[in-house]
Amino acid sequence: MKIKKTNIGILLFVLVGVVPFAAAFVYALLYSFGIIGIANDGFTLKFWESVITSGTFFKSFGYSFLIALVAVAISVGGALWITLKFREQLEKRFLSFIIYLPLAIPGIVTGFFTFQLFSKGGFFARISHKLGFITEASQFPDLVNDGLAIGIIFSFITMIMPFFVLLFLNVYKNERVEELSILAQSLGASANQVTQRVFLPILIKKTWVLIVLYFIFLLGAYEVPLILGQESPQMLSVLIIQEIKQYDLDKISEGYVVAVLYTLIVSIAAIVLFLPKKKRAYAN
Amino acid sequence: MRINWKPFVLSLAVLLILFPFVYLVFLSLASEWRFPDVLPSYIGFKNWVTVFGSETGLLQSFFSSLLISLSVAIFSTTSGFLISKAVFYHPKKRTLTLLAYFPYILAPVVFAACLSFFFLKMGLFGNMTGVVVAQFIIAFPYALLFFSSFWNEKVKSYEDLVATLGGNKWQTYTKVLLPLAKGLLLICFFQTFLISWFEYGLTSIIGIGKVQTLTIKVFLFIKEANYYYGALSCCLLIFPPVVLLYFNKRYVFKKLV
Repeated sequence: MKIKKTNIGILLFVLVGVVPFAAAFVYALLYSFGIIGIANDGFTLKFWESVITSGTFFKSFGYSFLIALVAVAISVGGALWITLKFREQLEKRFLSFIIYLPLAIPGIVTGFFTFQLFSKGGFFARISHKLGFITEASQFPDLVNDGLAIGIIFSFITMIMPFFVLLFLNVYKNERVEELSILAQSLGASANQVTQRVFLPILIKKTWVLIVLYFIFLLGAYEVPLILGQESPQMLSVLIIQEIKQYDLDKISEGYVVAVLYTLIVSIAAIVLFLPKKKRAYAN
Repeated sequence: MRINWKPFVLSLAVLLILFPFVYLVFLSLASEWRFPDVLPSYIGFKNWVTVFGSETGLLQSFFSSLLISLSVAIFSTTSGFLISKAVFYHPKKRTLTLLAYFPYILAPVVFAACLSFFFLKMGLFGNMTGVVVAQFIIAFPYALLFFSSFWNEKVKSYEDLVATLGGNKWQTYTKVLLPLAKGLLLICFFQTFLISWFEYGLTSIIGIGKVQTLTIKVFLFIKEANYYYGALSCCLLIFPPVVLLYFNKRYVFKKLV
């Protein structure tokens, strides 16, 4: 009887947690090879060849990768610095509430807010005009929908840096970094040595899985690049949805090729991250 | 004399954190704010009055979002808790956990685009049920993984003890497991509520514009360049998480240990 109940649990898990993912992947794979789809008439490699030769995927992937990397690096670096310098102050009652507030803002609002601040008719453009730095809106630098993705990176940083500050504060307390630092100092370590040999290794080692996980989340981010991105290159999710929603039927299949490639990359990342034997305290 | 710069930096940080909230409320009260005016020519409750008069359907969107998010949170927390027991007591739990991570880390909008064919065939395209089912599919792996640390040796020993003392399955759940997991269940409920509340891409694909949640409305207003109503929608979107934060910070922050 007990075995039966466990089997029902596993069956439900497979039904809700595995089947939809597998179905989505198989559907995208079949579509990408022309086996299914409105205008497709059998197996073909032309959509894959088209995507690979045009370089659309690689450009978009490289662009997304760089944006996610820069945003995560700045966020993690900034959060480590804040934890190191302001830990005691951030534990006080008022600040300990305030630092949670950014987590109540979703991506779509962050994108909208960034656009309101940095667009050519936005808040900073008005201030610049008032201060006499510019005389027309067009003179304001491109900070949103720009080639360097400044708006996107800024939004990502404001979205994830507060999370990492809270994470590092938590790890600092749980891993007793304070006590270990005092011990290192009593053994003659300098402030720099304590930071480099105690603080950084413990915090990074305990949270690297989450850091990589957030990098993957940013790689597939949709709302922020949809509002703040440019026409080309686009971030992966925006590119996939744009291609799949095209009226050009060939483009739909190419969109599914990109979707398959993206799914394969994140799946491999999941296998590398979560298959190893070691148990990680902050893995989820 | 060495100047202590920390209070200045902290004050600046507090201002920067509060700025988006103040700015969005301010923008929602504004009207006819043209470049290069630093202040709008109108500040008042005109936009809010219009919204509460239901002219734009924002209130309806608010309640649709609330209904969808509550449904997703209830279904995913309940199923996540019950099914996670079978998964994390299973001998192959590492492989099963890995399988749960695949849908968890895939961008929901891409997932939805690849699933939309099946939703269409099942009659779940462009309606609220479809959106709830689609959001449930992405919230469920989160809920399942959330309870991974709960099912440990200690809890197993409690279950064995109840069985030894003659307790049945129902009593194990009501007298031991649910009271033990009460805190985690509450956090998981609010976290999955927020996953659904904040969701845009997946809802836009499966709802095809017919299911107008608050995030869909925000984007519609941005496209129409109606930034005042956009800001107002943002205020409605941010308000529930801030209330949750006020009651308990844990509800908004991810579980860490």
